[in-house]
Amino acid sequence: MRTFLILTVDGVTSGFIYAMVALALVMIWRATRVINYAQGAMAMFTTYVALFAIQHRVTYWLAFVIALGAGFVFGAGVERLLVRPIEGRAPLNMVILTLGLLILLEAVAPMLFGGDVKSFPAPFSRIDITAGATQLYVSPFDIFVIAAALLVMLLLLVFFQRTTIGLRMRAAAFRPEIARLLGIRVGRMLTLGWGLAAVLGALAGVLIAPGIFLYPNNMDEALVFGFTGAILGGLDSPVGAVTGAIVVGLVLSYVGGYLGSDLETVGGLVMLIAVLMVRPQGLFAFHRQRQA
Amino acid sequence: MLEVDDLTVAYGGVVALNGVSLQVPEASITTVLGANGAGKTTLVRAISGLVAARGGSVRVDGTALTGMAPERIARLGVAHVPEGHGVISELSTEENLRLGCLWLGGANDRRAATEEAYELFPPLAARRRLPAANLSGGERQMLSIARALAARPRVLLLDEPSLGLAAVILAQIMQRLRELARSRNLAVLLIEQNARSALSVADEAVVLSLGSVVARDRAERLARDESLRHAYLGF
Repeated sequence: MRTFLILTVDGVTSGFIYAMVALALVMIWRATRVINYAQGAMAMFTTYVALFAIQHRVTYWLAFVIALGAGFVFGAGVERLLVRPIEGRAPLNMVILTLGLLILLEAVAPMLFGGDVKSFPAPFSRIDITAGATQLYVSPFDIFVIAAALLVMLLLLVFFQRTTIGLRMRAAAFRPEIARLLGIRVGRMLTLGWGLAAVLGALAGVLIAPGIFLYPNNMDEALVFGFTGAILGGLDSPVGAVTGAIVVGLVLSYVGGYLGSDLETVGGLVMLIAVLMVRPQGLFAFHRQRQA
Repeated sequence: MLEVDDLTVAYGGVVALNGVSLQVPEASITTVLGANGAGKTTLVRAISGLVAARGGSVRVDGTALTGMAPERIARLGVAHVPEGHGVISELSTEENLRLGCLWLGGANDRRAATEEAYELFPPLAARRRLPAANLSGGERQMLSIARALAARPRVLLLDEPSLGLAAVILAQIMQRLRELARSRNLAVLLIEQNARSALSVADEAVVLSLGSVVARDRAERLARDESLRHAYLGF
């Protein structure tokens, strides 16, 4: 029972981090129909930016905000400068672009920040809370991770469902040509979408780093597991992506805890293949079949 | 007033529109008729900026639109209801309408514009919260026209609104359109394959064939011209 509880809390916490990566992937998929393979590497970069700030006597919270801000600028910049010029060409071009960006970022990071493994601070204790004599298997930092993720998801939901600019972004993503006929600057909406997605990624990067440390390819696994979660839920469904990613977090945690940590990554792969074989459109996808 | 002058559009080497000129005065409906491939859709897409013109010009109330991006043209008061209605089926009826009046001055104006749309097409009022995907074909066409009107445009471009509609509903929508053109001082350009219904509401008619204007006249006179009807309009 004790092991089960520990594994469950662990699974949910990392599931929420994967969920933010998954949401970022889904946002970009819905707007641009491309999987941003560089999503994790971009988050690694912004986490280094935060660490750089902290090392220069900036407080954790300011560095946290700097990371998210850097994420926005980074994401918007990638859309504007790299994605825009090849838009409307063969889908493979876009895949090669984001894969190329991933490789580039992971090659440049060690030159700029050093290739060694660095520790990254957590704003709250990572030691489990005890209430009297009973241990609760959850640390203040775990609570912070889950709360931050939930808050960001809530903000995104309100943004997309309740604001005019959110409505414009959805219109631009669903039917770009119709959106233009309604006077919406679709290009600007795409830039904003990439920026927001990268903010989510940056948040995931800062939240995951205290647990897995910071090094140039530290986000590779989070990207794969976030991707698995997004596929599990259906790439077109934000709710599905979050649910899928939490399921992935839990399954991986159980596999790692009960079967051995070597099998964790294999577990993720098995899930991905199983879903693609049984229900390729994802568990939450409605009507449409996926195109790519 | 919409003025199209000597408009030429080509896709690669293929000329789709060859020196087309027409005027649509305020408070009137001009219909553009012609067979499939005559260049009707190309004409409206060129007016709203979705395809680039190779030559000629488009003006709305004297302002030249040539070379402008579609989103700018839309904000200048040109509303385009594309072929196959173009409602966004993932969004609700209300959201589609809100997208129509994005550029109206204040929140009150925008609310008034959506309420007007429901008065104009009452069936939509019962569908406010439903995704547009759940609407019937007729309701979707109404929504699409209502969304275009919510922008309070000066020029309304309608591409084949009759497509997939029952005759009764089509007649209702056409009647509405006629009243609206008058009451709102709208210049309406109505693209149709269904010549009979289009000629019954339009003031002026233009017939396109292979990208060129082959006939233009008052709608009722054109409807009586038997040789023309047989040659180009198929009824």
